[in-house]
Amino acid sequence: MAKRKKSDKKKRPIAVIVIAVAIVVLFLIRLYQVYEPLISENVFKNGITGPLFTGWSLTEIGNTLLSSASNLILSVAGIVVLIGFLRLHRWSWVLLMAWTGMSLVISLVDYFYSHANYAVMASNVIIAFALNITDVQRMFGIRRDHGSRL
Amino acid sequence: MAPVSDRPTIPASASDLELLRKFEPVVRYTRGEQFYPTDVDHYVSDSSLWEHHPDGHDDLLVRHGELTLDRLIESHPAEFGSIRYLRFVENLSLAETAKVLSDQVTLRRKLGEYFHAGIGRLARGGILPRLLDGLFSLSFLLRGKVSAATAAAAELDYNAIYEEDPKYTYYGRVTRQNGWTILQYWFFFCFDSWRSGFHGVNDHESDWEMITIYLYEEDGQLKPEWTAFASHDFKGDDLRRRWDDDEELDKTNESHPIIYAGAGSHASYFQPGEYQAEVSLPMPDWFSGLLRSWNKLWTETLGQPATNTFLIPFVDFARGDGLCIGPGEAQGWSLVLIDEFTPWVSQYRGLWGLFARDPISGENAPAGPMHNRDGSPRGSWYDPLGFGGLDKVAPPPEELQMLDANLHKLSQRQEELVKLIPQKAADLQVMGTRLKGMQGNPHLAKLYTALEKEINVLSAEVRSLRRETLENTAIYQSLARRLELIKSGIQDNPRAHIHHLAKPDDPTQVLRFDRAAETWAAISLSFLMFAIAALIFFAPKYIWTGLAIILILFVVAESILRGAFVQTVERITLILAMVASVILFIHFWKWIIVAALVIMGVSLMVHRLREVT
Repeated sequence: MAKRKKSDKKKRPIAVIVIAVAIVVLFLIRLYQVYEPLISENVFKNGITGPLFTGWSLTEIGNTLLSSASNLILSVAGIVVLIGFLRLHRWSWVLLMAWTGMSLVISLVDYFYSHANYAVMASNVIIAFALNITDVQRMFGIRRDHGSRL
Repeated sequence: MAPVSDRPTIPASASDLELLRKFEPVVRYTRGEQFYPTDVDHYVSDSSLWEHHPDGHDDLLVRHGELTLDRLIESHPAEFGSIRYLRFVENLSLAETAKVLSDQVTLRRKLGEYFHAGIGRLARGGILPRLLDGLFSLSFLLRGKVSAATAAAAELDYNAIYEEDPKYTYYGRVTRQNGWTILQYWFFFCFDSWRSGFHGVNDHESDWEMITIYLYEEDGQLKPEWTAFASHDFKGDDLRRRWDDDEELDKTNESHPIIYAGAGSHASYFQPGEYQAEVSLPMPDWFSGLLRSWNKLWTETLGQPATNTFLIPFVDFARGDGLCIGPGEAQGWSLVLIDEFTPWVSQYRGLWGLFARDPISGENAPAGPMHNRDGSPRGSWYDPLGFGGLDKVAPPPEELQMLDANLHKLSQRQEELVKLIPQKAADLQVMGTRLKGMQGNPHLAKLYTALEKEINVLSAEVRSLRRETLENTAIYQSLARRLELIKSGIQDNPRAHIHHLAKPDDPTQVLRFDRAAETWAAISLSFLMFAIAALIFFAPKYIWTGLAIILILFVVAESILRGAFVQTVERITLILAMVASVILFIHFWKWIIVAALVIMGVSLMVHRLREVT
């Protein structure tokens, strides 16, 4: 049997695997958050029945749609990022950091004004700190070997 | 680098006047500068003398037009805490204010010297420094400050003085300390217009600036070795450049150093350009402590680059594209010798201009060359070597002798040690043998303990002497190498002593999209305020979240213009993650502790089991 050739590919640090798992978890949570409010408001069954705004404020259905739409955007972005991330592309690190930042803003807004989703918040915290690890940043070309940034 | 033999020389017997003339500097100002070095006589005769008392009231001691340098030093007893000061510009009525401001415009038109900031200082700092800068500007509503009309009146008065007696003056002082001959060139200005004229930190009546040249004697000739220029944000070694450091120190005719003076501030720089001076906001101790802890967490734990966001960047424009004064230039110097026996230098301890009652002193006038604002002696006067960090440096010819003497001393000590260590070591062995012989004899217990103590002391001494031998050998080798280098004429790095090198900004590197960035820098703070106003009006329920989101959007926009998008996104996300961590800990601290203990337990178990198997 021919010997298996040693792979030249960079070995992924454990933090990259942790981040990938967290992205998948977040994707599933976000996907649930897209459908759950729409189902409970019977949007799929009856369509949009009332106005989205009253004056300058969003109505309940308006809020539901906005929340579902933002969760849908975050879910789709999550999958795109996951593909790039597993292939160790620099842009995916940048996009994931931005995505995590936005997701954290939404989590914090939810925490202060409605119901917090602690699972999402915790996943984002893990991703943010994991992305900041020097080895991970080197692997994605964010940081040079001697520590300075590119 | 030019060899030492190429340096200009002057006989050591030369008079102070000749010494000062031989090395007098050329000063290159920035186009648009309003005040140039002048003599104190005209300024004083155009000023009044005042006393500010601790209870807040001010007394006029000598009125405008009656003051002379002799009257300046007349004794006027005053209580502790009082401040004597000159006043170059008297209080102006509304009509006078309008007139001086209009006359200033006419004067500038006549002189045709206009200043253009180019990419202004605001574009060089981030959004937070700009916000702090706004607060700094507002602080003038509470602090005392010199008014724009005072600046305009001072400019008109200075120009009148110049027209009456057109000359540029410096005050020269020659002093000798520790083998160095020190030449100090003091420049007096009627006004510092950095804030009103050039978007800087402060304005104040009168300004004293100084540069120093350090000479050493060799074969009856004096040669320049170092120069030190007074400058913002730097002190000691960082102020000093070696004479042969041609990249850093410009010269004309090899004997006249060139100074590039900051516009309005008159601070001295070695190279032309625009320098970023940073001003820290005054903060309470508890806040500074908190900031230090945060910086530690930010840099050491999270590995982020250190930044001090509580600094406001100000630009000191030292372009050197304006008037040049000095040897070989169209305008020359008028020299006045001063020393500690010059009465107005030593006996007038007050301020040389308006006491603006500014608690952080930026707008108060400075004191004279020999004193600080509180009347205490000025370090650069009584310790000119320490001012340039030269107090620990010997003049080159003496350094050779000192190295020789050091080597000789070390050799002698090594010879002593060679004899001493075997003696002490032998004594130690004798005592050790005695100690061993005393064991097993309970009646000798006390003597045994005493001897044991003696042995310990001697043992430590022998160890220390052996260590000293090795250290001396290393020092000897290093000094011998240095001696050889100097004897062979090899000069060391002229900038080895500098910890922080002042470098001008590169305006082309500041921002990516020059015009857009500059416009953004000018309007962003106002837009931020409009956005906050809109938030308060339209969505008061979401004020804090809205505020945070607006700030984040502004910072991200700024980072795109600065080409720092990735770092900014990373920083914002990390801060948000830290806030979220605190929230999670508050709600789930029990679970977090339990999980941490379980993980630690499992990890410890795996580690220990690996040792066993």
